[in-house]
Amino acid sequence: MTHSATPFVRKEKAAATLVEMCSVRLGQTLFGVPITHILEIVGSARPQPVPLAPAYVGGLVHYRGDVLTTVSLRQLLGLPPKDGPQDILVLESSGGCFGLLVDSVGEVLTVSSADHEPNPSILDERRRALFAGAYKLKDSLLVMLDPERLDPMRLSEAQAA
Amino acid sequence: MDELTREFLIESQEGLDRMERCLTDLEQRPQDAGLIGDIFRSVHTIKGTTGFLGFKRLEKLAHAGENLLGQLREGKLTADRPIVTGLLQLLDGLRSILKTIEAEGSEGEGQDAALIACLEELQAPAHAHTRQPVPARAPAAQAPAPPRASQPPPAPSPAPEPPQQASAPPPKAAAEPDSDPARPRAAAGSAAESSLRVDVTLLNRMMNLVGELVLTRNQVLQATAADPNLTMLSRRLDMVTADLRESVMKARMQPVSNVFSKMPRIVRDLSQALGRRVRLEVEGQDTELDKSLLEAIKDPLTHAVRNSLDHGIEPPDLRQAAGKDPEGTLKLRAVQEGSHVIVEVSDDGAGIAVEKVRQKAIERGLITPERSAQLADRELLQLIFLPGFSTAAAVTNVSGRGVGMDVVRTNVEKIGGKVEIDSRAGKGTTLRLRIPLTLAIIPALIVRSVNQSFALPQGALSELVHIPPEQAAASIEWIENAPLYRLRGKLLPLVFLDRMLMPGTEHKLSTERDNFIAVLDADGRRFGLVVDGLADPEEIVVKPLSAVLKTIGIYSGATVLGNADLALILDPGAIALKAGVAMIADEDPARAADNENEIETAKSLDYLLVEAAGRQAAVPLADVLRIEQLPISRIEYIGYRPVLNFEGQLLPVEDSGGVLAAAQENPAAQIIVVVCREGNRHVGIAVSHVLDVAAGSDLFEAGTRQQAGGVTLLKQRVTGVVDLGAIPQLPVAENQSSPWDRTPETVA
Repeated sequence: MTHSATPFVRKEKAAATLVEMCSVRLGQTLFGVPITHILEIVGSARPQPVPLAPAYVGGLVHYRGDVLTTVSLRQLLGLPPKDGPQDILVLESSGGCFGLLVDSVGEVLTVSSADHEPNPSILDERRRALFAGAYKLKDSLLVMLDPERLDPMRLSEAQAA
Repeated sequence: MDELTREFLIESQEGLDRMERCLTDLEQRPQDAGLIGDIFRSVHTIKGTTGFLGFKRLEKLAHAGENLLGQLREGKLTADRPIVTGLLQLLDGLRSILKTIEAEGSEGEGQDAALIACLEELQAPAHAHTRQPVPARAPAAQAPAPPRASQPPPAPSPAPEPPQQASAPPPKAAAEPDSDPARPRAAAGSAAESSLRVDVTLLNRMMNLVGELVLTRNQVLQATAADPNLTMLSRRLDMVTADLRESVMKARMQPVSNVFSKMPRIVRDLSQALGRRVRLEVEGQDTELDKSLLEAIKDPLTHAVRNSLDHGIEPPDLRQAAGKDPEGTLKLRAVQEGSHVIVEVSDDGAGIAVEKVRQKAIERGLITPERSAQLADRELLQLIFLPGFSTAAAVTNVSGRGVGMDVVRTNVEKIGGKVEIDSRAGKGTTLRLRIPLTLAIIPALIVRSVNQSFALPQGALSELVHIPPEQAAASIEWIENAPLYRLRGKLLPLVFLDRMLMPGTEHKLSTERDNFIAVLDADGRRFGLVVDGLADPEEIVVKPLSAVLKTIGIYSGATVLGNADLALILDPGAIALKAGVAMIADEDPARAADNENEIETAKSLDYLLVEAAGRQAAVPLADVLRIEQLPISRIEYIGYRPVLNFEGQLLPVEDSGGVLAAAQENPAAQIIVVVCREGNRHVGIAVSHVLDVAAGSDLFEAGTRQQAGGVTLLKQRVTGVVDLGAIPQLPVAENQSSPWDRTPETVA
């Protein structure tokens, strides 16, 4: 799958740029979403399920007068669903806004593009399609999520293919 | 007034204001080429635009001014005092015509000759020596004034209009004045000052935010209900929010004249092409509709008008032979009725021959002969809405390609509206479109299934059937694995919502709790949707779904309910399609051979069986709009006549059963009023109980075989039918007639 640089990963640049990432915990893994793509974080929401929707759709939430479709990161990664309220990152992608359902949102971390590594080849295909490499933190890894790849429309196309 | 003209007025007025400022400056600096250029552009723009809007008088005057300004611009003349005076007079003249257009929709007939002559004279290089502008000024200054006074008896026009012009624009001119009261212009000054162009997306955004505010308000009201200190504040919040919501919705409304104004031209062109003589009458142009809905009815309406001209109104010689006025009448009217707008297209043409419709439908295989025999005339007429139906003997280039009325119906149903057709052979046809006031907010019934709430648009809902737990097992019948319900003797295909939403669920009625069947009528498909429970009906704000969820197909949107829960809006048509429910007309042809006594009940009609003071009576179900239970105190009296103030409209209440009188002693008593439609009015019937809905059949007098009027056989009992037409009209205020009674504007 693709290793091409996303707009916010400029590895080739000699001078390392600093990127601010919102950290998200899901199961054992620490994920990061560039804060430039986050519109808002909605805490403890209970999305309304949509019967017949693709499995990755986490349901609908009411967001600022609109109805927002959410994508369940747990489902995408094949993890068992979590009971109780979850946090939602409201993300902006080229196709519009959507919500990303995660277990909990952590602090904002500043990482350097110099610490970025592409997806390892041993990662399974599904994850390779979702992740955009990882940043090496001092004592752990921050897996980078690319909002464009999580867009529900894009996911449905990927599923159809 | 159409959009284009309004925009033109706003732009021209802005231009003229600029011109006035420049002219006064020009007097100080007669050599300033920039100023002259500015003035020239203002006049030139007006001239250019008037050309294609067809305002000949304005064009002529602007043209004369432009010539003079051209000379000034080229330096052949200098802007001396007489020239500036002349230009100011030109400015006044243009303004006055614009004002007339704004007020009356047409230019009026004015005397511009003097002013034009004066402008031409100013072009002569020697003007200053030969003639002082003063004498020229007097007639010119007066010139723009008379147009209004001289309108009805046209003054000898100095600029005779070309003949084609005489027939084309008058329809427009005559149709316009009606739209004028829609805008509060008289007080607010010119359109340029009182109106503002706003992006529709901004309005949509505002609508969304107001929706959010309404929800927040609901929560605040709940949270503060217990605190007396906050009661006043929250009540105020409540009021302001309601007002705000109404204002934002109003901002999206436009008068139907925006669409109606396109019709005179179509009627004129078509009637000439088809050799018909047609007079167009337009009523209720200031009725307002949501902008998006207005767009959506434009095509169906145009189609209906074309149909009326092509198939409805006969050629003049045929009309004369039939003893009718050789000139046919096509009537367009719009009126608001509660939360709907009714748009009617009616003609006094040949009408639709029911027999022809029957034959055609059989010929096209849309219906079997046996089945057609079972349908009432009114039902047969509705067949013309089926795809592939057209009664035109020959395909003309106007209509009759077989893609006619079904497109009209599809388009109207897409926006939650309904289409009905009424026709009497030889007398004419009326097509009635029932359009919701706004798309953004629709009435819906909230139903429960798979432990969630769903919204079901009321427009498709025809009735609800309650199945108590003990009857659950017996009430559903099966043909193999197709569930059916016997509704008044007819089999209704059922769709289990829970099974559709969660494939694999066992589909049978629960014997532990109540079950409900929502009988739906969508795109001509009739079926029962089985749901677990019902909640209250609500006015819901429709929110669009993301593309991913739209592709599921059975949801048309989502909404936020009053309790802040989200609900998906079900699309009845798509559900029917997905479940394989067929259109009514081609429903099982096997049924036709069924048995003979089916044909005996051919003319059966459904009736609402009511009881008033111990006596049973029947009301034709088709005429029933609502059944309202209300306290007796809601009934008021005009003289001795009981009336009900219902949704802001006054209903006469019929009380021949004496229900009101009997309930009068107890002011807390609840009574039931059946609200019915009778012609163009609504009437109420006071009853003590609503018993049932049943099919009645006609009774014939023994021996004579004459049909007995006013009675029907209902559940094997002879039952009297309430004669709605006999309920007397309410007294009409003398000087304030309803919009229906107003003399329609006649358009040649």
